[in-house]
Amino acid sequence: MSVKYQSQKIAEYFYTFAVVLFLVQVVVGIIAALQFIWPSFFILNFNTIRTLHINALIVWILTGLMGATYYVVPEESETELWSLPLAKLQFGATVVAITAVVLGYIWMGLNPQANSPIMGITPLNEGREYIEAPRWADVLIVISVLLFLFINFMTMLKTKKWTGIQGTLIGGLTVLALMYLPGMAYTKSMVKDQFWWWWVVHLWVEGAWEVIAGALLAFMLMKVVGAKREVVEKWMYIEVGFVMFTGILGTGHHYYWIGTPGYWLWVGGIFSSLEPLPLLFMVWDAFRTTREARNVENRAGLYYTVAHAIFNFVGAGLWGVVHTLPQINKWTHGTQITTAHGHLAFYGAYVLLVLSMIYITLPAIRGVKAFNASRAFQSFWWMTISMVFIVLTITGAGMVQVYMERLMGLDYVAVKANYNLWFWILRAIFGVGFLIGVGIFVIDFFRLGKEPAPAVTAAPERV
Amino acid sequence: MSNKAARNLFILGSLFFFAIFLGLTYDTMGKLDKRAPEITEQVNAGKMVWHKYDCIGCHTILGNGSYFAPDLTKTTVNKPKGYLKQFLMDPKSANPNATMPKLGIRPEEADDLIAFLDWTSKVDTNGWPPKPILAIAGGVAGQELTEGQKLYRSLGCSACHTINGIGGTTGPDLTKVGATRDRAWLVGHFKDPDEYVKNSPMPKVEAPEADIEKLTDYMLTLK
Repeated sequence: MSVKYQSQKIAEYFYTFAVVLFLVQVVVGIIAALQFIWPSFFILNFNTIRTLHINALIVWILTGLMGATYYVVPEESETELWSLPLAKLQFGATVVAITAVVLGYIWMGLNPQANSPIMGITPLNEGREYIEAPRWADVLIVISVLLFLFINFMTMLKTKKWTGIQGTLIGGLTVLALMYLPGMAYTKSMVKDQFWWWWVVHLWVEGAWEVIAGALLAFMLMKVVGAKREVVEKWMYIEVGFVMFTGILGTGHHYYWIGTPGYWLWVGGIFSSLEPLPLLFMVWDAFRTTREARNVENRAGLYYTVAHAIFNFVGAGLWGVVHTLPQINKWTHGTQITTAHGHLAFYGAYVLLVLSMIYITLPAIRGVKAFNASRAFQSFWWMTISMVFIVLTITGAGMVQVYMERLMGLDYVAVKANYNLWFWILRAIFGVGFLIGVGIFVIDFFRLGKEPAPAVTAAPERV
Repeated sequence: MSNKAARNLFILGSLFFFAIFLGLTYDTMGKLDKRAPEITEQVNAGKMVWHKYDCIGCHTILGNGSYFAPDLTKTTVNKPKGYLKQFLMDPKSANPNATMPKLGIRPEEADDLIAFLDWTSKVDTNGWPPKPILAIAGGVAGQELTEGQKLYRSLGCSACHTINGIGGTTGPDLTKVGATRDRAWLVGHFKDPDEYVKNSPMPKVEAPEADIEKLTDYMLTLK
């Protein structure tokens, strides 16, 4: 197994950066978990650690998806990338910009006054969750993403194959790029600030990113079990269609309590309740397509793909829908219930998505026919079991918080510091379990295809 | 359904729902300013302070943020502003148990931030956060309250102080205050906290002499 087009190998650059950031994200995540127990643990305060944790997440998922796109587009277009040097430049520029942003966060963490506004703009950290990157970095990010889209679009234009998968993929990525813009302008009103902020955050993770996930799921099903293109593409359109039909107006479930008019309770409540449906279609699609498959060469790839579909539905779908109705959300909004949903949703929908793409495309990039999948399974179980328990402990903490703080009227600090202490301790322990899983994955990523082939496949090479 | 039909359904359907979303957004933008007080220069300056110190990296506001520290949407409603200012500049001086770090917030920045938080506390949030139902039920049912207990409630003491596990944690726990303080200390302290506890962030209790006596009676029962 090897790549059809040499320029597809650029994907590995992006994967490597993504994998390193994944490790960073989980290490700072454990520091954050310990700060829930000892708030003054570590030289950087929680806000900086948390900023690093969520920014590393967003950036590594995005670079992973960029790598995956550079792999998929040449294959679908049946041609080399339009310009490989430009793609390498885009990679290098992205790494430099991200590194500069991270150093800025750490500097501000050590010396908050370094973030004093210059001409009304905070130079190191915008102080807005998920999109903390300062204005100069916003501009660099937009340039990088535009360059990335341009290279892929020109590649598609070379042969004009316009397959459904690459069209949907590029469509999702274009919406992703456009939806970054509403978060860039400053507004004096905190209500408007949060209103536009949700355009970015919600229309990314519950819109554009799920469209990308749908397109990549179709690609992966074709790759691992040789599913028919007509069939997977039709289901892909139905899935991503329902993602958009429910997800766009589902944004309303963030507009219940931030100072927005009351009709959003109806709009958000109805449409966001339907948001799990397309994710359930994806699970059904994955099972239906893979059930009959025999002699699958890339078992790790198949495993991760199906697990992605399942945990996308459980994390993003079920853990979201339980608190999406306004009459429930009134009590749970702003509590640990949201944190629990966030963790399982990002793990299921996007962490497993990028890891699936890595396991499906990396063997070809490295030119290996078969690889020992035992580490892939080990890391999967360490990560998944740990994440499920992390989410259960945070869900437990959220239920205690809702009951004691919101219903009984106890003080926030008392509930957090006393009644939820055991949950924080357990969460940190499972966090270490997750780190072990990530460690095994990182080792596997760097060694895959670089050690002797496993015994079973050492039989006669057919070259 | 053919693939082409499925694709067209996806594209046209998405555009249709996005158009509705744009329409609702336009309508909402026209209504937001009427649902909140006017934004003065100081409120805007306070918002910049909020961003500068990355407050949302620990706190939530309007329920969105980091869930590590209390939501600040309604902070100015039940916490005295003098306390808040002292806390923002040096948390441990206002509350020895505080875990918030000293960030170097300057006095004028603290004033701006409090003005900003005062603004958010007056935004019409469709009734969020809801009043804790069990605490309210506990107040109306059960035995008759003494005059001192009524004053403890009406003066908002429980925003900062805890009795038997209910109340705020920013001020000392009063569950057994009657065992450690005498009448003279309590009365004097109510009238001028600073004289009894150096740099106390507690505001003076602005109440008639008789009410202070009744409040003290209640405190002395807490043993």
